Amino acid sequence: MKKFFLLIGLAFFIIGCGNQNEHLAKGKELIKSDKRRKEERAVREFKLAIEQEQDNAEAHYLLGFYNSQAFYEANQPEWHQASIAQRGQHFYKAYQQKSREYLEILVFDTLRDDDVNVQNAALEALTLISQKGGRKQLIKQLQKAIKSKDNRDRHDAHWVMANIGKTNPSTMVPLLIDLLNHKQMGTRLNAVKALGEIGSEAAIPALAELIESGSARREADREVPEVRQLAVAALGKIGGRAVPELVKITQNKGSSLRVDAIRALSTLGDEKAVQPLLDALKEKSSREVVVKLAN
Amino acid sequence: MFSQLIFRRALTVLTLITVVLATGCDNRYYDEHMQMEVKRLDSDLDNRWSTSGVVINSITSNGPADKAQLSTGELISYIIGEYTIQNAQDYTRAVKKAMKHDSNMLLYIKGKEPLRIATRKLGDKVGLQVEGNGTVRIKQITPGTPAANSDDIQIGDVIEKIVDERKIFSLKDYKKSVNEFAKMNTSITLRTTELIGVKIASVTALGNLGDARAVDALIEILQNNRELALRKAAARSLERLVALSELNPLFQKFQAEDVNQLPADTLDVRHRESAEILGLLFVDLKANTATLEAPFGIQFRHRSASLHQKVSAGPLVELAEKYIHLDTEPEQEIRRACLSMLGTLKPVSSIEPLVKVLRDQNEIPGIRFQAGLALSLIGEPAIDALIAAFNEADTAAKDIAASALGRIGGIQTRDFLINALETTEDPAIQLTLVDAIAKIGDEPSLSALERQRDRFQEDDSAIRIFLDEVFSSMTTPAQ
Repeated sequence: MKKFFLLIGLAFFIIGCGNQNEHLAKGKELIKSDKRRKEERAVREFKLAIEQEQDNAEAHYLLGFYNSQAFYEANQPEWHQASIAQRGQHFYKAYQQKSREYLEILVFDTLRDDDVNVQNAALEALTLISQKGGRKQLIKQLQKAIKSKDNRDRHDAHWVMANIGKTNPSTMVPLLIDLLNHKQMGTRLNAVKALGEIGSEAAIPALAELIESGSARREADREVPEVRQLAVAALGKIGGRAVPELVKITQNKGSSLRVDAIRALSTLGDEKAVQPLLDALKEKSSREVVVKLAN
Repeated sequence: MFSQLIFRRALTVLTLITVVLATGCDNRYYDEHMQMEVKRLDSDLDNRWSTSGVVINSITSNGPADKAQLSTGELISYIIGEYTIQNAQDYTRAVKKAMKHDSNMLLYIKGKEPLRIATRKLGDKVGLQVEGNGTVRIKQITPGTPAANSDDIQIGDVIEKIVDERKIFSLKDYKKSVNEFAKMNTSITLRTTELIGVKIASVTALGNLGDARAVDALIEILQNNRELALRKAAARSLERLVALSELNPLFQKFQAEDVNQLPADTLDVRHRESAEILGLLFVDLKANTATLEAPFGIQFRHRSASLHQKVSAGPLVELAEKYIHLDTEPEQEIRRACLSMLGTLKPVSSIEPLVKVLRDQNEIPGIRFQAGLALSLIGEPAIDALIAAFNEADTAAKDIAASALGRIGGIQTRDFLINALETTEDPAIQLTLVDAIAKIGDEPSLSALERQRDRFQEDDSAIRIFLDEVFSSMTTPAQ
C-alpha cells in the first residue's frame, strides 16, 4: 500500500517537473536545501522565473514571501523592490492568477508566519484584494478564520479586519458587531478588539450593551468578564462619544469594571471625566466596628 | 491486572478529593470568638491595588459579629486591639507585642492626641522607659529614638494605653491576631475597607488628567486619609500636577496661537524635554516640529492655565514641606514625591527644611540626595545654606552638598569648592569635589584640577584615576 502511494507521488513529481518553470523548481529546491544563503539565492531564481513566465502564481507568491530587504544594500533599486508594498504586490499577483487557492493561503498560512514583514506584506495584499473587487470572497475567508477553532487564525483575522476597517468602517463594523453574538468566546473577544482598533463611534452602543450584560439576570445572557473588560478598553480607544459611556461605568458601584473604565478615561484626557472621578473619591470607604466578645 | 487498574484509579480519585478538600479548608476559617466564618480574598483582587484582608463569608445569628452588625461580604483589613498599662512590666510586654507585627503602634498619653510610633526595622527601640504602679509615667527618653524625635512626649507624661492596629494579609494573620487580642480584651475593633482599587485608580487618573479641580481633593487625601496606598497615589499625582503646571509657558504658546504644532526651536528646551518625557509632546528635531500628542496633549493645553494658577496659589509648598521629614511621614515614597514637588516649585522658604532633610542621619541616602537635588534646583539662594551644611555636617551630607553646589555653579561656589578640595583629606569627598568642579568647568576650575593632578602625581589612588578621566574627557569633548 505504502509503495503504491509513493509511486503515484513520484509520477506526479515527474509530470510536474515537466510542466514547471525551471527557475522556479531550482528556487524551491534551494529553499528545501541546507545551503548557505539559500533564501537569497532562491529569490534570484524566483525573479528569473517571473521574467520567463510573468503569470506564474507560485513564483510571485514565493518571491513575495522570501524577498527580504536584508539581502540588498539600502536605497538600491533591488532594495526598493523588496519593500513591504512590493512584496504585497507579488502576493496580490499570485491571487490574481489563482484567486481561491491563494486567498486561502494568505489568510490561513501567510499571516501566521513568524516574520513581521511577511505578515505585513500579506496584510498589504489582502487590503488590495478588498479594494479591487475581491471583498466578498475575502470577507468570507476572514469570517471563517475569526470563527476558527485555532486562536492564531482568530487573532490574524481580527488584525486584518481591524486594519481594513480603519479605512473602510462601513462594511467591517456591522460585520464585527454581528460577531459579538457568536457562540465562541474567542471569536467575540477578537471582534471586540478589532472594534476598538478601528475606533468607529458606530460600535459604541453594541459595546455598551455587551458591558451592561454583566448584570443580566440569566447567566446565559451575561458576557464573560474578560470580554467585557476588553470592551471597556475598546471604548477607551474609540474615545469621543464613548466618554459618557465610560463615565457611566465609573459611576456604577456594582460594576467590576470601574477601574478599567477609569484607566481608559485617564488616557483620553477628556475634561468630562474629572467631576465623576472627584465624586468617586468622596465615597465612604471604610468603617470601624467594635465587636463585643461573648466570653 | 484489571483489579489493579481499578485500585489505581480509585487512588487517583482519592488523592484528588483530598487535594480539593485540603484547599477548600485552607481558604476558610471559622472564628469562634466572633462566631463568623471568614475566607481568603478573591485571587484576582489579592494584592491588586494593595488590597488585602479577609472577607466575611457567613455570620452565625445572635453571635458577637451579628450583634455588632457586621455583614457578609465585608472586607476586614485591620484588626485593632488595646493593651491596658498598669505597670512597667505591662508596658514592656505591650510594646513588644505591638511592634512585633509591623513595627508600628499608637501611644495614648493622658491629655494628648494619640501618637503613632514607628521604628525603621524590627527590633529597634521605641526609646521610652516608664515607672509606676496603677499610674504609669515616663521616666526616661533615650536620645535618637522615635520617641525622642517626637516633640509631644515629655518626661512625667502618663501613659494610658497602647493600641495596636494590625494590617491583615492572610487568614493566618487574622487567626493569630484575633486569638491574641481575645485573650486580653473583652472587645476587638475591626476596620473594614471597601475595595480601594477604584479610589486609587481615580487618584492616579486625576493626576494624569491635569485638571485644577483635582488639587484640593488630592491634598485632602494626602493629609487625612488612613489608607497608605491611597496617600502614596495622591502624592504621586500631586507631583505630576506640579510638573505639568510648570510647563504652562509652553502650553500658553500653543494656546495663544490656537495650534497643536509649533516649530521646535521656538520653545524653551528644558520645557520641551520635560513635556516629551511626560508624554505630552512629540518633537521631531529634523523637521523642526513640536506636536502636542493626541488626545491628551491637545486636551491639556486648554486646562494648563487654570492648573498653573491653582498650583501657584495653593498651599502646596507648605504641604510638601510638612511631609518631607522622616518624623512626620514614615512612607519614603511620599517623602520623595514631596521633595520632587519642592524641586519643581523652587520656593526659597523651603531651603531650611530641605537642609534639615539633607542632614538627617536617620534618613535613607536616596531621600537625602533628593533633598540636595531640590536645593540645587532652587539655585543661588541656597548656596549659603549648602556651604554651611558642607562645613558642619557628616560625610554623607558633605558629599550631597558638594554635588548640589557643583550643579548650581557660579564664582562664589567655585571658589568655595576649590578651597575645600585643597584642604580636605577625605578621599570620598575629594572625588565628589573634583566631579563638582569639573562640572563648572571654567578656566580657574581647570587650573585647580591641574594642581590636584600634580599633588596626586605618584599616587595610584581612585582620585588620580578619576582626575585622568576628567582630563581625557575634556581633551576629547563629546559632541
